[in-house]
Parts: sequence; structure tokens; C-alpha cells
Amino acid sequence: MQPQPVALLMSNVETIPGKTIVNSLGLVSGSTVRAKHLGKDIFAGLKNLVGGELKAYTELLNESRNEALQRMMMEAHQRGANGIVNVRFATSSVAAGASELFVYGTAVVVE
Amino acid sequence: MNEGVVFVVFYIVIPVVTGLAVPMTSWLLGRWYQNGLFKALEVTEAAQGKGFGDAQLVSYQKKQETIAAEYTTLLMANIVVGPSWGQMFLMWVKSLFGGALPSYASVLDYGRREAIQRLKVQAKERGCTSIVNMRVETSVITTAKGNDSKSSSVEFLAYGTGCR
Repeated sequence: MQPQPVALLMSNVETIPGKTIVNSLGLVSGSTVRAKHLGKDIFAGLKNLVGGELKAYTELLNESRNEALQRMMMEAHQRGANGIVNVRFATSSVAAGASELFVYGTAVVVE
Repeated sequence: MNEGVVFVVFYIVIPVVTGLAVPMTSWLLGRWYQNGLFKALEVTEAAQGKGFGDAQLVSYQKKQETIAAEYTTLLMANIVVGPSWGQMFLMWVKSLFGGALPSYASVLDYGRREAIQRLKVQAKERGCTSIVNMRVETSVITTAKGNDSKSSSVEFLAYGTGCR
């Protein structure tokens, strides 16, 4: 089941510029672990002949990060927040060929 | 005499030449290709300003009262870059002696600058006039070492808060 996308105000500064925080609802987070596709990895390896951008990976990571972001937004939405401040991204290689994309922030109610 | 020449050619010259041919070709091709990428990047930078040294792009958090914005959004842009086989070979050679790796540094420099340019494109698309608290994250995605992976790549993620 595809969760309905929710639109929240987000920023990575301590406030939502131009708005006032009226209530803080605590930390929210979202994460996703993605493994590389063997075929894509082989093609990326061939692209290493000349180096430069590996587009397949750029897209894969962008998609996964959006998914993590979406999970965080769902969590904030369930708590009744309408904004998330101080959003941070963290990426780490957890196993050979797999990366965890983690995003966290503070859910707030703004006016 | 003749046997000695044959020995040298077959057991030393041919293996060394074939062994070096792939990294050398890759290094030359990679240099040509990456120079092209740099030229394209410089054109974009000339058009929309360099990432570093831009007043519209700051990495500090402005205090609440000083930000007067009618619209705020989280912006993020990423790029995955990898070195060429020739550069990997040079890295391996250099790792025997240690020291700076200028050819690999240029790959990372390209990735970082390109990620910032992409962030700026996003900001423009959403009508933002400034980006506050910009951060650049670096993470290793795959390493072509020990057969874990076939490719070698590093990801750069640039993110920040776009304001209008």
C-alpha cells in the first residue's frame, strides 16, 4: 500500500522562517536501507572506465532518500504536526553494497 | 643472446605493457571525459554563480527574528561520482608511498561543486531567493575493493532551507 503523500513545512534551521512555533512534538525519524542492484553495479563499474557521475546510483539514492523523508513526514503527520524543523540527513554503509539513508528532525506545530 | 631477448620480450615487456594498457587507456579517456565535465560545470557556475563565495548561499543558521520569509522549503540535491580505473590505479600506486592524490581530489571536487549547482537549480525552480544553512554530506557508496562491488563511488548530498 502506497501511503498518501503528506505535505509538511520543513526546514533544516531551528525554526520555520516567517512562522512561529507554538508546540513541539518531539523527534521524528525515517529510514530506509537499500542494496545495490548487481546489474546496475556492473554498469556503474563499466562507467568507471572514464569516471564521472554514476547516474543509476544518483537516481537510486534520491528515490530512497525521498522514501525516508516520506516516512518521517507520515510519522510527524500522525502526531498532528504541521512542520518539521532541524531536518538532518545521515547516510552510512551498513553492509557491503547496502546503504542506510536516515533522516530525522523535530516535529512542531507552527502558526 | 637471441633467447635472452625473447625471454625479456615475452616475460617482462608484454606482461608489463598489457598490464598497464588498461589503466593507461582509462586514465587518458577519463582525463578527457572529466575535463569535459569540468568545462560544463564551469559554464553552469558562470551562469548561476559559484557555490562557495556566494552571498545567497550561507551555511549558518540565521536567528529566528532575522529571517523574514514568506515561503520556506527543504531543498536537497545529490550526485554519485566515481573515479576512473586509471585514477584507481594511480591511487593504488600512490598508496605505496602515501601523500596527496590530486587526481582523485579533482573527482571529489567536481562532485561537490556539481551537487551545490543542482541545489541552486532546485532553489530557482521553486522561486527561492536564498539558501540558509547549507550542508554537504559525503558518503562512500561502493568500493571496488575485495570483490564486494564492481564499481567505486562516492555520494555527495547538498541540502539546505530555501527561503523567499
